[in-house]
Amino acid sequence: MTQTRQREDESPGPVARSRTAVLAERIPIRRIILVTLSILIAAGVLVGSYKTLTLTEGRISAAGWRDFLIFGVALGSIYALIALGYSLVYGILLMINFAHGEVFMMGAFASYFVARSLESAGLLDSSPILSILILLVAATVASMAVAVLLERVAYRPLRNAPRLVPLITAIGASLFLQYTAASLFGSDSKGYPTINALEGTWTILGIPIGRSLLVSIVAAAIMVVGLTLFISRTTMGRAMRAVAEDKEIASLMGINVNRVIVTTFGIGGILAGVAGVMFALVFGLVQYNMGFVPGIKAFTAAVLGGIGSVAGAAIGGLILGVVESVAPFLLLAGIHVPAPNQLRDVVAFSILILVLIFRPGGILGSGEPERG
Amino acid sequence: MTGSGLTSRAVRAGLIGGVALVYLALIGMIQKFDSRNLIGDFLTLGNLLMALPPLLTGFLAIRPRLVGGQHEEAGRRPALTAGLVSGAVVGGVTAAGVALVEILPEGAVRRIFIQVSPELLSILTFGRGVPLGLVLLVVYGAVLGLLGAGFRLLPDRYRRPLGVGLAATLTFALLQRIFPPLLFELGLDTRWLYSPTLLGLTVPGALVVFAVSAGLAALWGARGPVVRERVRRLPPERRKLLNGTGLLVLAVVLAVLPALIGSTLSQVLGTVGVYLLMGLGLNIVVGYAGLLDLGYVAFFATGAYMTALFTGANRVTSIGDLVAPAFALHLNFYLAVPFVIIVTAVVGLLIGAPVLRLRGDYLAIVTLGFGEIAKVAVQSSWLQEFTGGPQGLRDVTDAGIGGIGFRDPQPFFYLVLVFCGLAVFVSQRLAGSRVGRAWNAMREDEMAAEAMGVSTIRFKLLAFAMGAAVGCLSGTLFAVQIGSITPESFTIIVSITALAVVILGGMGSIPGVVVGSLLLIGLPGLLDEFEEYRLLVYGAALILVMVLRPQGLVPNVRRSRELQEDEAAQDQWLKSEEAPAVTVGGGGGAS
Repeated sequence: MTQTRQREDESPGPVARSRTAVLAERIPIRRIILVTLSILIAAGVLVGSYKTLTLTEGRISAAGWRDFLIFGVALGSIYALIALGYSLVYGILLMINFAHGEVFMMGAFASYFVARSLESAGLLDSSPILSILILLVAATVASMAVAVLLERVAYRPLRNAPRLVPLITAIGASLFLQYTAASLFGSDSKGYPTINALEGTWTILGIPIGRSLLVSIVAAAIMVVGLTLFISRTTMGRAMRAVAEDKEIASLMGINVNRVIVTTFGIGGILAGVAGVMFALVFGLVQYNMGFVPGIKAFTAAVLGGIGSVAGAAIGGLILGVVESVAPFLLLAGIHVPAPNQLRDVVAFSILILVLIFRPGGILGSGEPERG
Repeated sequence: MTGSGLTSRAVRAGLIGGVALVYLALIGMIQKFDSRNLIGDFLTLGNLLMALPPLLTGFLAIRPRLVGGQHEEAGRRPALTAGLVSGAVVGGVTAAGVALVEILPEGAVRRIFIQVSPELLSILTFGRGVPLGLVLLVVYGAVLGLLGAGFRLLPDRYRRPLGVGLAATLTFALLQRIFPPLLFELGLDTRWLYSPTLLGLTVPGALVVFAVSAGLAALWGARGPVVRERVRRLPPERRKLLNGTGLLVLAVVLAVLPALIGSTLSQVLGTVGVYLLMGLGLNIVVGYAGLLDLGYVAFFATGAYMTALFTGANRVTSIGDLVAPAFALHLNFYLAVPFVIIVTAVVGLLIGAPVLRLRGDYLAIVTLGFGEIAKVAVQSSWLQEFTGGPQGLRDVTDAGIGGIGFRDPQPFFYLVLVFCGLAVFVSQRLAGSRVGRAWNAMREDEMAAEAMGVSTIRFKLLAFAMGAAVGCLSGTLFAVQIGSITPESFTIIVSITALAVVILGGMGSIPGVVVGSLLLIGLPGLLDEFEEYRLLVYGAALILVMVLRPQGLVPNVRRSRELQEDEAAQDQWLKSEEAPAVTVGGGGGAS
């Protein structure tokens, strides 16, 4: 696509076009707007951070910034796990699985119910590691089942439909799953049982880190490494790459495309299930609508890193988590915006919009996200 | 077809139907709908819901299968057996679920699935307790499955009147809050038709409705084609007269409707009108231009807030005082509306401009982001001077003319009617204009449209601006209707509701949007128990419509032809078993 659209060769319609109109189209309005926008944003960021860092009253201490950063990394690794689900599916089907946030929610709910019975059995405190493993299994099985079912019911019948059609069913599925959970389990938010072993902090290299945060970071790292190995080393991983490259050729090569797609959804579900447990451990709550906003943010992360790439989703998640937890304070506290934390979601959405405007291919991608 | 193939398919269908029935029970629908009587006191909405899975399973289990491009019909006897088996499996799955709940320690299931109450189990087992009730459940499923299959096997001549009769009876029963007051105001005695104590149809009433509608349907089946042909042969001026008479009757009915149905139902219709306006606006963006906008609530909010600011409203401070916002004009409502439209159209341009180059699905997500930002922005503290923050704005004008206000439901209905009429007119003219055709071309194939000289950027911007302009009217009227606006009214749910209205009705179809808003907004307004499941049903409707009937309930003629061509192309592909080289148009130029 060309950057500016000049169109002198437009068919001579009944409406004659004036010289000024032609001239106006010659001026690269889009580029001017973009450059102005980026200058404004850069200036805003600089001024905001300068003012915050030179605040005389209510200045945030170095330890405070460090805690924001650590929290951001933990949150970012959860986003990264969800983002991988978007990215894998997008890589293969070129569709946005809008209901992926609900897959994550279902995993969190499954682990919540298991955690409650583990709690009443006393296992949660007597053998925390075993319980966390059980929780992970419960969550991943539930999320995987939901993801696979979703593919079967809502996406497979529409595989050759116009592109917006599966997106609309995905929105429907998201709504359906949310309110199914609300009706099945109740719409109130539920306190996740606490695991005593994960309360408090561990000190690593002299830095105190919240235990549940550290567990999330480590779990995400393990999952990302595992996924990378799976994709690069196993036969199924190779099949996935082949299908992502070209579905028809892959099927000619004897790859069962349907099975690869189901596997992809399943893997996305497993990652989302792990993320669900981690999210519940960090925030201590589960609720039927908990998947929606993290889902959109994880999508942002996937786009930010370059959708379709594993490393991109991981990096995008981390960046988004850190920016989201640091930026509201860094940029807004200085200019005396009350309660900058309220505006966290705006930060994430703004990043999404800016990335799509300036670099739709993401950090690791290049150019446009057009493929297919 | 071999009998065993049919049986195994029947069992599979039965399993799915059983899961559906268990699902309906688990989300609490069957129990909550059980208090709504439909016919006498022996058919409640809950009963109906419980009967539907086995009926549908039996009906669908024996549907002819496409084998080698030909429909393969099953014989009468095996088909009936298959229906029976599938229905019995539905009952069996449900019975197994009930048995599981009974076997597990008391309350164990309910701790997870909060709706599993003793009352629900009693409904499912027909109040007969465990061993007998479970057997009854299987028999019940088998009988209904048999009925469903039998219905399919009926010759069309009988099937159609029967179906119409059942549908009409159900409609009458479901509209039990509309018809009695309506008929009462007309001076008719309704006690023979609707039971005053049970609220539903009486048994004789139901029989009469069924007989009359089935009879009419049978008559139409015999005479319909002739009548239609005769209307088609009428000279144009006569046909125009016929159409004009139809419109006139519609106008008269709409004009007297609020007085007949009373204030509560007028309120429901007013809300339907607000969403109809929103649907019409979104229809321009999604249906005509093919741009999926998930942040449509931004325009709804802009319309509402701008109306409040232009006509002068008060904001509530955090300590509860009423003060004027930082910006307020005190224009007359009708003078303010054009300004509101202009401002919202500009907002539409601003939102549209940066994202137009994005492909369809990205555009959807970005607009969703804008919608969320709009909500957070009006809520936030730094716009509080204007928007009143979380407390919102109050004392919005009632759009009065000469001292008569429009806030009350009945007058409001007329205001909505006028605005909807305008919006329908604008949409219709747009669809047939050069602009509308450009949008169509763009929606079907952006690249081809561009190659044919359609300036896609300009027409996309125009679509955003026009959609915003029409949609903001819904916000305007909403502000008038409610009188006070708070940020909670402007969530993503509004966008998705509007989308569901457009999709269910049929993208690009104005009658579709009307039907969509009546079904999705009107029906939950009439039956309170739907309210809790409104969004669940919207979600399911979005999936089902897209999978089963992508052109919507009342399709746009041209659009449905396009979609059918797609299907034809796919069928052809299936038959030739070649690689699917068809990239179907729509969302934008990929490849």
